[in-house]
Amino acid sequence: MRELVTLQVGSFANFVGSHFWNFQDELNGLAEDPYADPVFKNQSLNMDVLYRSGETHQGTLTYTPRLVSVDLQGSLGSMSSRGTLYDEGSSASSNILTWGGNVSTHAAEPHKKNLFLQSLYGEEQENSLTFENGVTGGENPRTEIHDRDKVESLENGVQYWTDFSKVEYHPQSLYELSGLWVDPQKFDNYGIGRESLSGGLQGEEISERLRFFVEECDHIQGFQFIVDDSGGFSPLAVDVLESIADEYTNAPVLLYAVRGPGSSVDPRSQKQRVSRKLHDAVSFSRLSSLCKLIVPVGLPSLSRSKASTFLWINDEKPYHCSAAYAATLHSLSLPFRMEPLGPTADSSYASGAVTVNEVVEILSGQTRQNMVAILDAAMPAPSLIGNQVEQTLLRHLQPLTPEIAKDIEDLQSVESISVHGALGPARGQRASVSEVKDMVHAAYEHATTRPMFCHLSVAQCPLPIPLPFPSIFGNRVGQHGELLSTPIIDSPSRGSLDVHSIPMAARLRSSSAVLPFLENRLGSLRSFGIARGAPGAELVRSWGFAKDELEDMGEVLSKMITTLDPRSQMSSDSD
Amino acid sequence: MSLRVLNPNAEVLNKSAALHMNINAAKGLQDVLKTNLGPKGTIKMLVGGAGDIKLTKDGNTLLKEMQIQNPTAIMIARTAVAQDDISGDGTTSTVLFIGELMKQSERYIDEGMHPRVLVDGFEIAKRATLQFIEKFKTPVVMGNEPDKEILKMVARTTLRTKLYEALADQLTDIVVNSVLCIRKPEESIDLFMVEIMHMRHKFDVDTRLVEGLVLDHGSRHPDMKRWAENCYILTSNVSLEYEKSEVNSGFFYSNAEQREAMVLAERRQVDERVRKIIELKNKVCSGNDNNFVVINQKGIDPPSLDLLARAGIIALRRAKRRNMERLVLACGGEAVNSVDDLTPDCLGWAGLVYEHVLGEEKYTFIENVKNPHSCTILIKGPNDHTIAQIKDAVRDGLRAVKNTIEDEAVILGAGAFEVAARQHLVNEVKKTVQGRAQLGVEAFADALLVVPKTLAENSGLDTQDVIIALTGEHDRGNVVGLNHHTGEPIDPQMEGIFDNYSVKRQIINSGPVIASQLLLVDEVIRAGRNMRKPT
Repeated sequence: MRELVTLQVGSFANFVGSHFWNFQDELNGLAEDPYADPVFKNQSLNMDVLYRSGETHQGTLTYTPRLVSVDLQGSLGSMSSRGTLYDEGSSASSNILTWGGNVSTHAAEPHKKNLFLQSLYGEEQENSLTFENGVTGGENPRTEIHDRDKVESLENGVQYWTDFSKVEYHPQSLYELSGLWVDPQKFDNYGIGRESLSGGLQGEEISERLRFFVEECDHIQGFQFIVDDSGGFSPLAVDVLESIADEYTNAPVLLYAVRGPGSSVDPRSQKQRVSRKLHDAVSFSRLSSLCKLIVPVGLPSLSRSKASTFLWINDEKPYHCSAAYAATLHSLSLPFRMEPLGPTADSSYASGAVTVNEVVEILSGQTRQNMVAILDAAMPAPSLIGNQVEQTLLRHLQPLTPEIAKDIEDLQSVESISVHGALGPARGQRASVSEVKDMVHAAYEHATTRPMFCHLSVAQCPLPIPLPFPSIFGNRVGQHGELLSTPIIDSPSRGSLDVHSIPMAARLRSSSAVLPFLENRLGSLRSFGIARGAPGAELVRSWGFAKDELEDMGEVLSKMITTLDPRSQMSSDSD
Repeated sequence: MSLRVLNPNAEVLNKSAALHMNINAAKGLQDVLKTNLGPKGTIKMLVGGAGDIKLTKDGNTLLKEMQIQNPTAIMIARTAVAQDDISGDGTTSTVLFIGELMKQSERYIDEGMHPRVLVDGFEIAKRATLQFIEKFKTPVVMGNEPDKEILKMVARTTLRTKLYEALADQLTDIVVNSVLCIRKPEESIDLFMVEIMHMRHKFDVDTRLVEGLVLDHGSRHPDMKRWAENCYILTSNVSLEYEKSEVNSGFFYSNAEQREAMVLAERRQVDERVRKIIELKNKVCSGNDNNFVVINQKGIDPPSLDLLARAGIIALRRAKRRNMERLVLACGGEAVNSVDDLTPDCLGWAGLVYEHVLGEEKYTFIENVKNPHSCTILIKGPNDHTIAQIKDAVRDGLRAVKNTIEDEAVILGAGAFEVAARQHLVNEVKKTVQGRAQLGVEAFADALLVVPKTLAENSGLDTQDVIIALTGEHDRGNVVGLNHHTGEPIDPQMEGIFDNYSVKRQIINSGPVIASQLLLVDEVIRAGRNMRKPT
């Protein structure tokens, strides 16, 4: 087994992460539930890759994500940063032992738990009661009504990422940045982040927590790093990446730079626009210089993109958008936990195991050293029905990476696809692993543009939809994620109560389609930062970058562009 | 207003409104921190929205926990936190002093005085006070054997403002001994060489000094010893886990045998390194029953652990980077980056190595070392907020001792310095100043009294009585401080109440700078948003 350690830095990253861990928790739960769909029983996925086993002081066994999450102080809402698992009970802790004098208490107004969290924590108490009676929870007609209320309360009232999290975290996992004294709204560019974090011990504390999780790993395969790079968290992520590169030299980092939809709203004033563009350029070039593979994720308007053809997403809500991204990240992480069986043997449940390092090698280590990958997703993936199956899958895979070119022909592109839970030709039947494999290969045979190399991972286990998942499915998605020919009319969107699982396909693609993304960044770096009399020159200097540092960044970016497109002239007209 | 022409959304606060905004912010922050000061201050229990508890009496911690939004308050808070970064203490005093300077200035400004004149007075007073502090300080000769008593008194003064007396006194010895342990002649003191480790276990009074190191992890093999005496310590930064080499990984072998062969070849390299360590062990441990411990900064994978365990070696992986340095200082030997040139000289020595398990947490104690230049303060407490609070106090104590050794001087505490400086300014300096700047000097002098005043107030004493008693004694030539139990003047020297010279100096230095800047603001402009709206 090769362990994976996850990092989540920034608020949107934590929204994505929260959904991601909800999926894992759901999988864990379904594997133990005797009433669940048998496909979840034998996942041939090793959850220990993502999770750690532990034990509290009282001797209770725990199973928690191997995760370090960083967010601003106060972003945890009603969840305590120490989690609830290792709590010793609050009665003993309220007396003060270290001071004989006066005590003044300053209590913040307690965050009210929403219906979902209330029932979650209430359930735990109930569970412990029923266990004593020897009864395990069965279907209860009463809960049905409850569930509706819970889903509704989540739809309308998610404010923090903890509001919809059903996972128990280890006390070392959640780290809040305190003492920054910035308005979260204004924590939106590289400079502010860098300034407010300078001189602090936050970086050291985060490395300490990371070390706690890495030390336990017998053989770490890499880091899965989700960063919200739209604001002040980028410099922090850069610090953390630097310390990872230093400390764990051989563990590759797979970096997802995620963005919420709000971060790309075009600001009104010229000054803000310059600042935003420069931030994007600087943040991207700093982050990409410290990881093995960077995947920019997050469309300016997910709801209007082709990726959400079958989804019904409200762009305003990070709760909605993050769910779609998290589902894709989940699909991509599946091959990391499959048991490798050697190249010839194949399990009937999963095939195509790779490690993070192998994915990095496939995508960026071939003839072209391109380390920026495009993320495509098909949510839900189409069923293997009909005679034009071959084309539907590839057509359904739509990009979640912004600013990329469409319909580009790139003979040297390399891909890694992960398909899981695909439905077979027979109605309601899941396709077998070999059927899916054949289908995907056939799809590429028929396709007009074919990648140079494609790695395929297939698993039979679909994406389970946990209760706190938002109602983002369109009315053509059925209970098992099948695409219905006639829409269900009673409501425009369907959520976790109607859809129990969906098939997914996700793809990482190293292709020259990413060129516009890189060129935009290089362009804004040059015109706003480096060029003579550039409007943002003063600004970047205040962020702590000297001119030659910017020029170096520009150099690196243009090198990235030339590896993808040797004909590009961007590099020569620099002066 | 001309600005309106440029940007119709801009908001402008004019002169007096801007000034009052600044003064009020400074006073507000002062009010929050005021009750913290001194051994009779109030401890703050902060309960977060999710029920998290934090206990603190430290101004620095409190400032960081408050989500300050007001720009003036942020400026003051940053100064105060910088104070803590530089000198390790005095956050509360800085905030109080700035607040008081603003408060005193308000009186004069309301009477129509121009802030510029006050600021000039501040500048004169500041320079005079800095000169005065040089005369007033009590020099301490450090030499090779520092006077332990005086260090203890300084540490005790700090610790007693953070913890109850019995615990503070216990920690005083710990803190002083640990700094003396890591101190090397002719070198500045690196406090990072004191490891602060905590265990959620037992009681606060079980906190102790470990001469040696405590690591927060243990060996990861069931067959390794949990208790070993007479140990050689190998401190290394060598990867003992099998890694795929960068090229040729993944997909380029054509069959399973080839893959196996590659894995084996790579495995062999790692085994080779392990074998070299085992060879060294056999060399030094043959014929005696000494033990051998490897502490590695990089990873060690299960097959390597297996080999090491079979050879009777205790191995720990992924040690903290700082511990590499600490280990060498504590046990001797040197940290090796490669196993190619291992000699017995690389090895350190510890009399006792043992593991302690608490739930899922493991601790490894490395004790009975010969000549420690690094040590560990092991903090114990029944819950997290107790531990956090002791930790803060220990940090402050360490800084106080370090400052004393480096300053080679201390300042009489309990408010004695502030009263003396005030009398000096009023009686001597003021007369030499021409014109209205005198009032600035006076405001500065009165602002200094905020420390004894607050001490008195927090102890439930009458501030006027106390100030009169203290200034009276000072005018008679006796340097006295405040006895917070009785309100009577006392001699801080007799009581052993000393503050850090550098802390006081820093407060006098930075306080007036910020206060002056804030006083000289005559317009506050913000484009776009409404700033009068309460946030």
